[in-house]
Amino acid sequence: MAMTGDHANASMEQASVLSARHLTKSFGGLKAINDVSFDAAPNQVTAMIGPNGAGKTTVFNLITNILSKDAGQVRFLGRDLARMSAVKIAGLGLIRTFQSARVFPGMTAIENVMVGGHRLASHSGASQTLWLRGARNEERRILRRAEEMLELVGLAPFRDTHATELPMGAQKLLEVVRALMAQPKLLCLDEPAAGLNDTETQELANLLRAIRTLGIPVLIVEHNMSLVMNVADRVVVIDSGAIIAKGTPSEIQNDSRVIEAYLGSENDAAS
Amino acid sequence: MLEFLQICIGGLVVGSIYAAIALGFSLVYRVTGAINLSQGGFAIIAAMIGYTLGVSFGWPLWVAIRAAVGVTVAIGTMIGAFTFVPALARLSNANVLMLTAGLLTAIEGAALVVWGSQPYAMPPFSGEEPLVFGPIRVPTQAFWVFGATALCIAALWFLVAKTKLGKGLRACAENPSAAGLMGIDVPRMTLLSFALATLIAAIAGVIIAPTTSLQFDTGRLFTISGFVAAAIGGIASFPGAIIGGIFLGLATQLATAYISSLFSTAIALLILLAVLIWRPSGLVRGGAGKRQDTRDEAKAVGHAARLPVSLAWPLAALAIVIAVLVPFVVTDNGILSGLVIAGILFMTLMGLDVLMGYAGQVSLGQAGFMAIGGYTSGYFSINYELAPVLAIFAGIGVSLVCALVLSVVTLRLRGLYLALATLAFGLLVDSCAVGFLDITGGPSGLVGIPSFSVAGFEFATPRSMYYVVLALDVVILLGLAGAMRSGFGRALKAIRSDQMAAAALGINTVRYKLAAFMISVTLASLAGSMYAFFFNFLSPEMVGTGRSLELVAMLIVGGESTLVGGLLGALLLTLLPTVFQPLAIYKTFASGALLVASFLYLPQGLYGAVVQMTIRLVRPRGEAPKESAPKTTARAL
Repeated sequence: MAMTGDHANASMEQASVLSARHLTKSFGGLKAINDVSFDAAPNQVTAMIGPNGAGKTTVFNLITNILSKDAGQVRFLGRDLARMSAVKIAGLGLIRTFQSARVFPGMTAIENVMVGGHRLASHSGASQTLWLRGARNEERRILRRAEEMLELVGLAPFRDTHATELPMGAQKLLEVVRALMAQPKLLCLDEPAAGLNDTETQELANLLRAIRTLGIPVLIVEHNMSLVMNVADRVVVIDSGAIIAKGTPSEIQNDSRVIEAYLGSENDAAS
Repeated sequence: MLEFLQICIGGLVVGSIYAAIALGFSLVYRVTGAINLSQGGFAIIAAMIGYTLGVSFGWPLWVAIRAAVGVTVAIGTMIGAFTFVPALARLSNANVLMLTAGLLTAIEGAALVVWGSQPYAMPPFSGEEPLVFGPIRVPTQAFWVFGATALCIAALWFLVAKTKLGKGLRACAENPSAAGLMGIDVPRMTLLSFALATLIAAIAGVIIAPTTSLQFDTGRLFTISGFVAAAIGGIASFPGAIIGGIFLGLATQLATAYISSLFSTAIALLILLAVLIWRPSGLVRGGAGKRQDTRDEAKAVGHAARLPVSLAWPLAALAIVIAVLVPFVVTDNGILSGLVIAGILFMTLMGLDVLMGYAGQVSLGQAGFMAIGGYTSGYFSINYELAPVLAIFAGIGVSLVCALVLSVVTLRLRGLYLALATLAFGLLVDSCAVGFLDITGGPSGLVGIPSFSVAGFEFATPRSMYYVVLALDVVILLGLAGAMRSGFGRALKAIRSDQMAAAALGINTVRYKLAAFMISVTLASLAGSMYAFFFNFLSPEMVGTGRSLELVAMLIVGGESTLVGGLLGALLLTLLPTVFQPLAIYKTFASGALLVASFLYLPQGLYGAVVQMTIRLVRPRGEAPKESAPKTTARAL
């Protein structure tokens, strides 16, 4: 592709995929999230990091309306997400995963991934009931794509294994490709590395890089620093419910406030 | 005014008993997070044993009553130890509820075997002569009832609030896993709560026995009234149970006196549905309302048995060929009728499987829709000579309208409350079937329903009806199999296992649950109509709550989320009693016991067993499926 075309594209899509403005949420008297604003840019991996209890997952839940905001606005591809149901938000192409892997128990690995294709399936239950050709073809297409997805993360040999019988790392990867199957316009991953060992984390990093090359923007909440520094283009650091730094991974790594939030002040670290 | 007072006293007597049973519900619910429907069964067992010892054997009433309570508690504790306690560790709470429904059915069945179906009347403890307060007469038994209930309440309160054992019970109620870590024997506490509930039920049973007539299935009424009372009052709260019980007793007695005895149940149930809409957690809110969610999470949905595709099609074809040939071999009309009935019930069961097995929505009132379908099409074909096919559609239409109204309630409810609402709905239909004499013929049934016919061709013999039912079954099965193996079925299964995750992938959970419900209602209504056309007759108990519970038993025994499993359950429970006539009396007992046994020992049902056997037969020896631990490697693109 010509350089000029790339540049034109970039400037056209300069508007961010997701923009959160002034998000605020209190639980009782405690201000859990205080005036948080950030953007997720197209074709980039945006990471939100912070120590445990900083409010990362809460921000996620505010974006996807699982929790209601006290104040603030979230725009996704230019549309205000206020008062939209989880189903509607997913329908717009904002697909999220959950902190504790939520694979569907009672379904095999391949079935799990195929559920992800639901959003894009166009044939009705009625045409499935009548075994119409279109519905059967679509079913075959979904199956083939789901198999490719399993292939992508090396789970193809376990396509017929019940999802809950897979090890935690595999379940997490399965959840990510299930979300990927939904062809997200923004993929939101909630602590995908939680509970993974080092090799599994490395595999996850490879997968995330692969997703970026597909051109799918990713918003990732994580407190595994090395993973974030490895894959993120932009990093947002949050502590005690407020943003304390934004920038590229290398900028963040040298930011004194971030180091303090993560490691405590020098005195704390020594003791 | 006097009459009003007199009625109120009657209401208080009944209400006290409801309150006592409701207390048992509340106790078990708080300690285990599950509902124990078997209590009413124990109440009636205790009363029956008391009658046998006191009246038939001539023991002194005192001894007889105490012995009856003792024996019942012993039986109940045994049953609890071998069914309820192990079930709690393995099954979701909705399934535990169905298991206890199975226990109730089994107890009723056992009572039928031992005591037969005739009613018994126990003499009052202190003579027939009522006490007279001015113009008001109070039967002496009322004081026994008030006293016993008050004693139960006081003793339970003392146990829970003041003793160390009670502290253990309360700890289990708050957080069972933490209680276990603190060294509290959680299974023992569970069993204790079950035994205490049985004790309360047994006392209630013997005390109320003299004021009512006893029959093997009276226990169901105790269970349901206690359950409704607990739900109205707030199931997680002891005061709620008592208030709910008294309220329900007064309401039903007043309704019976001033409106009609036929509608007293209906009114109680309308109150319940209203409470469920208005305040799903009951009038009095208890502290342990979140329990069912925290416990359910850990218990994964079971895996359904699946035949490999390469085997499924040939076997299905073979099964159809055999089914077509059956009437040439089996000439006995009785057995053929049994097959027709099984085939008709199979229609309902396929719908129930979509609703319960796939979408995970418990329904204990499915026969209610059979009733609506059957009575509607029967009524129209008798009174307006509507062609049976059109009458069937009329029935489906009425059923769907009722279902839409009901779903206003049910779509907001999950798990236990959903089961409760569907049970209430089934009972409501039951009591309407009895109450609307002009339309349904009342308790004696609707007679003179024509046989099924299409364009003048009448299917009057079991043999011709067999083929009609077979054709319908095959068409429905093929259609549902198509939908369930595709996106529709996957969406339902996803909703069953994790609603939030399903919604996050863009699955409209409300719409899919509604669709599954409508499918099940349509099929139940169709089956009800076919049932009426086949028998040329329909009575309330043919499509009553007993039938609803039997349907659940058939589905679980046959195998959930398999579509065909229901047929095995239906065949087993309809054909066996037909083929071996002496066994007919054991049918109720068997359906309950089999349901319990399937839950505990055969989680994939008969179909699962059949599938595993088939796979073992077909697969050459020594070729066991290999499965090593998965190794994940994310290959770069």
